[in-house]
Amino acid sequence: MKRTLTIPMGSQHIALLEPLHFRFTCENEKIVGVDADVGYVHRGIELACASKFKFRQVSFVVGRVCGLCSISHTTAYSQAAERLLGLDISKKAKYLRILVIELDRLHSHLLCLAHTAENTGFEALFMQIMRDREASMELLELVTGNRVQFDYSCVGGVTRDITTDIEKELTRKLAKLKTDLEELYEVFRTNWSLSLRYKGVGALNAQQIKELNAVGPLARAAGVAIDVRSDTEDLLPWKEVGYKMMVEQTGDVYARNIVRFREMFNSFEIIENVLRGMPQGDLVTETKANPQGEAVSRLEAPRGELFYYIKGNNTPVLERVKIKAPTFSNVAAFIEIFKGQEYASVPPILASLDPCLSCTAR
Amino acid sequence: MTTFLKALGNLFRTPATVPYPFAPTYLPDTYRGLIKHDASLCIWCRKCETACPPGAIVFSQAMDGKQAYHYNTHVCIYCGECVRACPKAGALIQTNEMAAPVTAEAKINHSWNGIVKEALAGREAYAAERRKAAAAVAAAKAAEKAAAEKKD
Ligand code: SF4
Ligand code: SF4
Repeated sequence: MKRTLTIPMGSQHIALLEPLHFRFTCENEKIVGVDADVGYVHRGIELACASKFKFRQVSFVVGRVCGLCSISHTTAYSQAAERLLGLDISKKAKYLRILVIELDRLHSHLLCLAHTAENTGFEALFMQIMRDREASMELLELVTGNRVQFDYSCVGGVTRDITTDIEKELTRKLAKLKTDLEELYEVFRTNWSLSLRYKGVGALNAQQIKELNAVGPLARAAGVAIDVRSDTEDLLPWKEVGYKMMVEQTGDVYARNIVRFREMFNSFEIIENVLRGMPQGDLVTETKANPQGEAVSRLEAPRGELFYYIKGNNTPVLERVKIKAPTFSNVAAFIEIFKGQEYASVPPILASLDPCLSCTAR
Repeated sequence: MTTFLKALGNLFRTPATVPYPFAPTYLPDTYRGLIKHDASLCIWCRKCETACPPGAIVFSQAMDGKQAYHYNTHVCIYCGECVRACPKAGALIQTNEMAAPVTAEAKINHSWNGIVKEALAGREAYAAERRKAAAAVAAAKAAEKAAAEKKD
C-alpha cells in the first residue's frame, strides 16, 4: 500500500552541517516531492557593506560571509573594486591570490569528501580525511596568518608576502598531502561498499544541469564543462599556471567525488607552478580615488561560480554590493536531485552537493 | 581490505589530535594576533582608527590636547589594516599572540561602548575649545589691526 509521508529535515539535523531545511514528501521509501528553505543565516551583509563600511574595508567584511571560501569572497570583491578604480594589480599579487585560492580549494574539497564519507556511515574514513586535511589548514595559517579568516586579498593586491621558509614548508607539506590523497583517491574509486552508496545515486544529466543552471563540481560531474577559471584569464592567469578543466560524465555522487579529487590534484600542480614562477612586483597597488560606476567580477570558488556586483558613487562608501554565491545557483538542482531517490540516500547526496548556506543567505 | 587493515591499525597509533589546552597547538610565527601600540613612537595621526574596519581602536583626548590609545582585543578582527595604515614604522605592530577568551565579568561591550563615547565626546570638547581659542585670537588680531589702521 502506498502511503505519503512528509519528513522534515533540518534546520538542525545530525546529518546536516548547515542550517538548511528540507521537507521531503515520500511514498514509502521513495522521495516524490522536495521543498527547501535556505534563508536561516541571513545577516544583512550586503546592506552593511553599502552603508557602514568604506570600500577598502569591505573586503574584510565580505571575507566573513563564508568560513570555507573566505578568500574567494575577498578576491572576487577586490577584483570588482579594482575594475571600478581602474587599478592594474601586479602579477605577483595575482600569483599569490591563486596560491591561496588553490590551498583553500584543497581544504574545502577535503571537507566535503570527509562529510560525504561520514554521511555514508564510513566514520573511520571521515577521520582519516580530516586528519590529512589538517596539513592544508596549517599551510593556510602559515601563509595568511589565520586558519579560517584569511584576509589575504585587499583592494589593490594582497596583504602579505611569502618567504623562502614558507615556500619550503609549503612544498614539504603538500608533497605529504599528495601521497595521502592518492591513497584516499584509491579508496573512493575502488571501495565496494562506498560504491553502493555513490554510484548511480543522486544523478543529474547534462541537460538537466543546463536547464537548472547548476554550477561548480556539480555541473562538471555531469559532463558540463563550465568553470570560471577557464574564461577569466584577464583577472587571474589561470591557464598560465596550469589549470585544467576536470569533467566526469555520470553526474552521480561518485562522479562528484572524483571531480573533486581530480581538481585537487590539479591544485597541487597549480601551486607548484605558482611557487616556481613567482614573479617580482609590488604586493599592493595604491590609489587615492573613490569608486565610481558599476562593475562585476566572477571567480571560481570551491563550490562554483561566485559573482559580485558593486556600484560606487564617487564616495568612500559603495552604493550597492550584490553577492551571488554558488550554492544559491545550485538550489534548484538540489531539489531536482532528490526526486525519485530513496530517503536513505539523502545524507550522502546532500553532503556531496557541498551546500554552503552562509554564502547563500549572506 | 587495505583500508580496513589501516583502520584497525589506527587503534594502536598515538592520537592525531592535540590535547589542547594541555599541549600547545600549531601556531606559526606568521599568525595574525594582537596589535601592540608604542606611545613613544606614535605621532597621533589617527590613521589607524580611520582604517580599522570594526572600530577596535579609538583615541581619546584630554583638554590639554594629549591623546591616549584605546584598543579592544575582542572587537579586533586581527586584519592588520591599522598596521598597514600607520605612517610611523614601529608605532603599531601585529604580534602572534592570541587574545585571551573574554569572560562575562569583563563587560566588554558596555565598557568599550562607554570608552568610545567618552573618547569622542572628549575630542569634540577639545576641538570646540580650540575653535573658541582660535576665534578669540582672530578677534584680538582683527581688533589690533583695526586699531593700527585708525592710528594711520
Ligand atoms: S587588526 Fe584590524 S581590526 Fe584589529 S585594530 Fe587593526 S585594523 Fe582594527
Ligand atoms: S596610525 Fe600609527 S602613528 Fe598614526 S595614530 Fe595610529 S599608531 Fe599612531
